[in-house]
Amino acid sequence: MRHTRATFLAVGTLVGAAACASGKPAPPAEAAQPVAPTGQFTAPPSVRYDQHVFAGGAVPPAGTLDNPFAADPKSATEGEKLFSSMNCNGCHATGATGAWAPSLSDGRWRYGGADGAIYQSIFYGRPEGMPAFGGMLQPPVIWKLVTYLKSLPVPRAVPTQSW
Amino acid sequence: MSTQLRQVAALALICTAVATAARAQASAKAPVPRDDGRWTMPGKDYSATRYSGLTQITRVNAARLQPVWNFSTGVLRGHEGQPLVVDNTMFVVTPYPNVLYAFDLSKPDYPLKWKYRPAVSSNALGVACCDAINRGAFYAEGKIVYNLLDGHTVAVDATTGKELWNVKIADPKDGETTPMAPLVVKNRVIVGPSGGEFGIHGWAKALDLATGQVAWTAYNEGPDADMLVKPGTFKPFYDRGTDLGVTTWAEDTWRVGGAPVWGWLSYDPELDLVYFGVGNPGPYNPEQRLGDNKWTNSVLARRPGDGALVWAYQFTPHDNWDYDSNAEMILADLTVKGRVRKALVHFDKNGFAYTLDRATGEVLVAEPYVVVNWAKGVDLKTGRPIVDSTKLTGAGKGDVKYICPTLEGGKSPASPAAFSPRTKLFYASTLNLCMNFAAQKAGRIRGTPYVGADMPYQAGPGGHLGAFIAWDASVGRKVWEIKERYPVWSGVLATAGDVVFYGTLDGWFKAADATTGKLLWKFKVGSGVVGAPITYRGPDGRQYLAVYAGIGGDWALLSGDLRSDDPNDVRDPADFIKDLGRYTSLGGMVWIFALEGANR
Repeated sequence: MRHTRATFLAVGTLVGAAACASGKPAPPAEAAQPVAPTGQFTAPPSVRYDQHVFAGGAVPPAGTLDNPFAADPKSATEGEKLFSSMNCNGCHATGATGAWAPSLSDGRWRYGGADGAIYQSIFYGRPEGMPAFGGMLQPPVIWKLVTYLKSLPVPRAVPTQSW
Repeated sequence: MSTQLRQVAALALICTAVATAARAQASAKAPVPRDDGRWTMPGKDYSATRYSGLTQITRVNAARLQPVWNFSTGVLRGHEGQPLVVDNTMFVVTPYPNVLYAFDLSKPDYPLKWKYRPAVSSNALGVACCDAINRGAFYAEGKIVYNLLDGHTVAVDATTGKELWNVKIADPKDGETTPMAPLVVKNRVIVGPSGGEFGIHGWAKALDLATGQVAWTAYNEGPDADMLVKPGTFKPFYDRGTDLGVTTWAEDTWRVGGAPVWGWLSYDPELDLVYFGVGNPGPYNPEQRLGDNKWTNSVLARRPGDGALVWAYQFTPHDNWDYDSNAEMILADLTVKGRVRKALVHFDKNGFAYTLDRATGEVLVAEPYVVVNWAKGVDLKTGRPIVDSTKLTGAGKGDVKYICPTLEGGKSPASPAAFSPRTKLFYASTLNLCMNFAAQKAGRIRGTPYVGADMPYQAGPGGHLGAFIAWDASVGRKVWEIKERYPVWSGVLATAGDVVFYGTLDGWFKAADATTGKLLWKFKVGSGVVGAPITYRGPDGRQYLAVYAGIGGDWALLSGDLRSDDPNDVRDPADFIKDLGRYTSLGGMVWIFALEGANR
């Protein structure tokens, strides 16, 4: 896992994600409750996938999203339950192996595989149908989902299929 | 396989030879009306027979078929449905992003006259359950009418390609998408949504052909007023009572109960009835929606003018297995028990082929056309299946093993069957698959899946995964079959040359003798076939065939890695169909075939 650190600028209107950028786990929250606006104004966190770095030649200045539950097995287990109860498995399949939405267990990521990038994908949604769950899931809930996905072992033989 | 089913299967084998001989004699005398050589609607005619009266290609010369042209659509998703041919122009609708191509068949190389590229929201991709497919267009009064995936219906001028109207009919935010092919009756364009896996509240709508304005909306579940059930008009054969679309659901579960309309429609002008199948109730976990759940998994007969429901019949009450009934309703006059009946024939996902009286909804024949073990049969007195209680599913029942057929169906509704009035046989692509079914409690979140089950598949008895069959719907008996290594998931074409055509998932387009099931010809079209072949008379007077290659639909989900265009989505092959990726991959093509020597 690769983290890109950048300066956190005080502009923009990001709601919710600000709380998670602090690095402190928020108190446990129920899923499916609207996220209350924090009232803070902060920059969007850095977009950390390689294409963007190539395009600009440098990492754009922005904040870091730190996963408060990174590599915590208990959070991963909770995340696995959330993956089912929040219907993630409905599109990505049980075990996140991919159904009508992409596999999230192959170690490959369209929008970046850093914890913060996965957080953003869940929070904001993505083109081609990934819904924005940021209005529905509290930051700790999203981080537990991220922790679950990052806990999945990447199968060794992915690049080659042979018969 | 139950003992009863084994006996039926054995009997079918014995009867095959006798029946075949008798039929060959009878068909030689049948008159053949001249076909207009066009293909203007998905099912060829309002009866949805997918039968053409063209006779140039026969069982004798079919081996001389050869490709004369092809075209890459530039789209990789599942190419279901079929082209249309009208006025020497071929119209092709692609899967998302739903490009409409018009090829000039009167010119060498069939150049494009125009192409129409609508704006379609990519958000719809996230709520299209089973690949971003499209099942085709309908030609009426100089217009090509079809649905965009994101809940819009469009009418395009067939001559110029100009958009005439573009109307929003469904909302992807509610889990609705619109891949089905419309049916146009008089001035009504009848459409419906997919979304049985997204907790939709299913409906059919009729739009005005001239303007696209909604003329009526009829829900498939809910109060009589919403379902356009009018006193004195609604006369189902088996069911009595009011507000059945509410009273057969626990609490108000009907409000998010599914009941999509994603299959094919047919129409009887004499009875003035439009027929269409309604899909599954949601969620899959049946404990969350106790009751029969009417009118999911049903056929509805409605008047096209005002939408009034005239009769309805539910194939699978209180569905436990995702047995949608969206498959085509083929209309044919058949002799059943010595009487000529105005029949409707339907190969349901639940594994039974039904022959109904299409005026009343009475079940005349219901027999398994594949291996079925969730029910022992259908009680013709009540119209209800005789369910094997050990195959009932639910979150409280855990993982229920080995249910046949799977939720893909004994036949997929995506692959419409054909009927030949010459052989009096129906031809269908079938699947030989069984499943385990572990239901779980599903949580409803708007615009996300509302499913609640895991259902791994395995091969059915015999190990082959599919078969192409000929079916005698007068008695409910398989007449012949061609076993296939993979599930057969293409539409079917029957012709007056007594040749039937279908395609396979490993990318073969095949011709078989309509009477005997003998394979006459095959050609590798590249990607697997999930579309439906058509035939037409070209400007040179010759008979042509057209079919899409382009595997997808459910196979985009089920087969593991059949794609190569996304480096960030790599999957293992599914264990029941591990080696399909050796033979095919995604890729949309339009193919045209003719007999060797066809001049163009």
